[in-house]
Amino acid sequence: MEDDSDYEDSYVASDVEDYPTSEDGDYGYDPQTEPEISMRRAAYTVLSEEELKLRQQEALQQVMQVLSISEGEAVRVLRHCKWDVNRVNEEWFADTEALRDKIGLVDEQPTGSGRRKESCGICFDEFWVSEMHAAPCNHSFCRGCWKGYVHTAISGGPAVLSLRCPLPDCSAAVPAALVTAVSDPKHREKYHLYSLRSFVEDNQRLEWCPAPGCENAVEALHEVSNEAMDVTCRCGSSFCFNCKEEAHRPVDCETVKKWIIKNSAESENLNWILANTKPCPKCKRPIEKNQGCMHMSCSQCKHEFCWLCLASWQEHGERTGGFYNCNKYESAKKRGDYDAESLKREHARVSLQRYMHYYQRWAENDRARSQALSSKAEANDKKLEVLSEFVATPTSQLKFILDAWAQVVECRRILKWTYAYGYYRFGDNIPDEDTAQKQQQGFFEFNQGQAEMFLEKLNGVVEKDLDNLVEEFKREPGLSEVAPDGSVFVDQASSPERQAVWSKFREQLIGLTEVTRMHFVKLVQELEKGLDQLLAFYSEQPEAEAEAEVEPAAVSTAEASGSATPAQQATAKAPKRSKRSRISSRAAADKASNSAAAFSLQEADSELEAEAGYWQCRRCTVINRDLNSQSCSMCAQNRRGPISAS
Amino acid sequence: MGSNQQAQLPRRIIKESQRLLSEPAPGIKAVPNEDNLRYFSVEIDGPGSSPYEGGKFRLELFLPEDYPMAAPKVRFLTKIYHPNIDKLGRICLDILKDKWSPALQIRTVLLSIQALLSAPNPDDPLAENVAKHWKENEAEAVREARAWTMRWAR
Repeated sequence: MEDDSDYEDSYVASDVEDYPTSEDGDYGYDPQTEPEISMRRAAYTVLSEEELKLRQQEALQQVMQVLSISEGEAVRVLRHCKWDVNRVNEEWFADTEALRDKIGLVDEQPTGSGRRKESCGICFDEFWVSEMHAAPCNHSFCRGCWKGYVHTAISGGPAVLSLRCPLPDCSAAVPAALVTAVSDPKHREKYHLYSLRSFVEDNQRLEWCPAPGCENAVEALHEVSNEAMDVTCRCGSSFCFNCKEEAHRPVDCETVKKWIIKNSAESENLNWILANTKPCPKCKRPIEKNQGCMHMSCSQCKHEFCWLCLASWQEHGERTGGFYNCNKYESAKKRGDYDAESLKREHARVSLQRYMHYYQRWAENDRARSQALSSKAEANDKKLEVLSEFVATPTSQLKFILDAWAQVVECRRILKWTYAYGYYRFGDNIPDEDTAQKQQQGFFEFNQGQAEMFLEKLNGVVEKDLDNLVEEFKREPGLSEVAPDGSVFVDQASSPERQAVWSKFREQLIGLTEVTRMHFVKLVQELEKGLDQLLAFYSEQPEAEAEAEVEPAAVSTAEASGSATPAQQATAKAPKRSKRSRISSRAAADKASNSAAAFSLQEADSELEAEAGYWQCRRCTVINRDLNSQSCSMCAQNRRGPISAS
Repeated sequence: MGSNQQAQLPRRIIKESQRLLSEPAPGIKAVPNEDNLRYFSVEIDGPGSSPYEGGKFRLELFLPEDYPMAAPKVRFLTKIYHPNIDKLGRICLDILKDKWSPALQIRTVLLSIQALLSAPNPDDPLAENVAKHWKENEAEAVREARAWTMRWAR
């Protein structure tokens, strides 16, 4: 797996240092660039069911050759070692006998003559030995009983992959070949499915695409960590490789998990699951204990554990002070662990309001994202075609509209998760004296507000403005009228007036898409780097060499602690401060006389712009490619001066 | 009805029933119900040198439709003071659950239950208060079990 070149189909999200990617595009926006905003290197490949089978077969062949064992044995060994060929080699050569013993590989026992009858240990009927079947341990049972045994095990779930000989106390593994030989096609298919699922689910580097109906899996091409990793399947759905929720960077998996549980519309259901089940300590599947003793054994992974303390059963009993060590409720209650219950309820009531604030914004953006997705599809299906006639441009050149929609979709997703982040990042009540927290909150909300403002603008332009434009074109139909002789005598669509209007719109939209993207890239970076580190970075470097990827950090604490809810405030303020954020930051910084940000913002601006290869007009948002020009090519607004009325 | 059912009964169950009657395991009686040959009335003698000695414990045993692929369902009918048997008579025994194998039989199951009476396992408890009693003061718990045997299992 060291050689990435093996994987022609790899997707490697570029590092942020590569942004912006395009210098040669007409509008500074490369339509090839996925609107994905991700900074960490995420190398992965998407595998179809067929490809997965091939991979599985490759691993099997490799192990069979190296260890000189049968395919059935190789399956067992690989499954035990989580389909990690290196681990197989390590464990096998470290102690072959122990490993064989553990997974039930026994040496083939000699079979006696087939020309005698023997009683089947399950149905008690007599059979010719030649007609009976046995695992390598040679404990024979009749075909019918094997079939019943295997079918029952297959119906019991994936644990059938570790099926052992039916004879009590015989731990010989039942080879896959025997399972498939005695089962009917329906069960056989299910068995193969379990086998493939094991290949993916037991394998740390593979995950199924969670999209409904999608049968692809994603393979990580590097060591996987427990951190969020957004991947996009060939089916188009994006998800986090680590937690299998929808893609949620820059927010971490833990926050997303908490947030989703909190939001679950089926909270009653969830309460039930929380109250009545516990996740298996090994495979994490929820288990309901509906009868029996505290000695649990997971029906899926066969892990044995104590229901009370969830520790492995093997480490249980006398050695750890016995079962009653787990029965801690009484002592916990005496210690007052549960007295906090009423306090908690009170706290919940207080924080509900705060939660609703974040939840509503999260949900609104979620809804807006779905709407944007369908708008994008609608545009693709029909709008572009109509438009193409109105402006005499082939649909292939109208792709920037789809790109704008894709950007809206992606930004809605990010924005949505920043609300979950905000909810958990800042507590219910930040004390006034905690200026660091206040500052961080203000900083975060300001940037969130900025990003949101551009997104709203972009959304408005690609939706309402475009629709209005189309309506306008409709009133003076540009559709060329074709005379019977084939000559065209009206061509409103290519009139210079319309072309001028259209070209202006196009530039505005492309520029806005890029600007919005940049704002979200920044927001994502900030959250991933950590606000405290960023702010610390700036306070340590008053002369900040302003690394292009970070924003100067300073928002007066007074501003952030107003009476309006912080995010509303940020949003409400944004239009008034429709300057680029670093310039407004300067104003705020000056007000707060915060030395942290006392460095030349203008310089930082120039540097940023030089790196980006353009500067953006603060009034009309158009992208200006001429870095030496001091006035906007579209509206003549001064590059650094105050915004003039249009 | 009995004969009709007998016709559908798997040969294994018929053979097992016959053997249980013809060569009963010591201290164990299992008799199929006349109306339902999958339902057995069982009586197990309390094993010697256990607090259940001298008692006769009644159990019911039912062979589900998919027996022997699925384990039989067994329950104590006689009240018993035992850490692995709860007040409804349910038994915590691995071979009745996930360790079941179709190569096990009614006879092996009943022998295992008998062995469980000889060797209670309070570390794997079903009746928690009984198990607690057993762990905290075994002598007293054994006396209690003996008293229950005298009272209910005579």
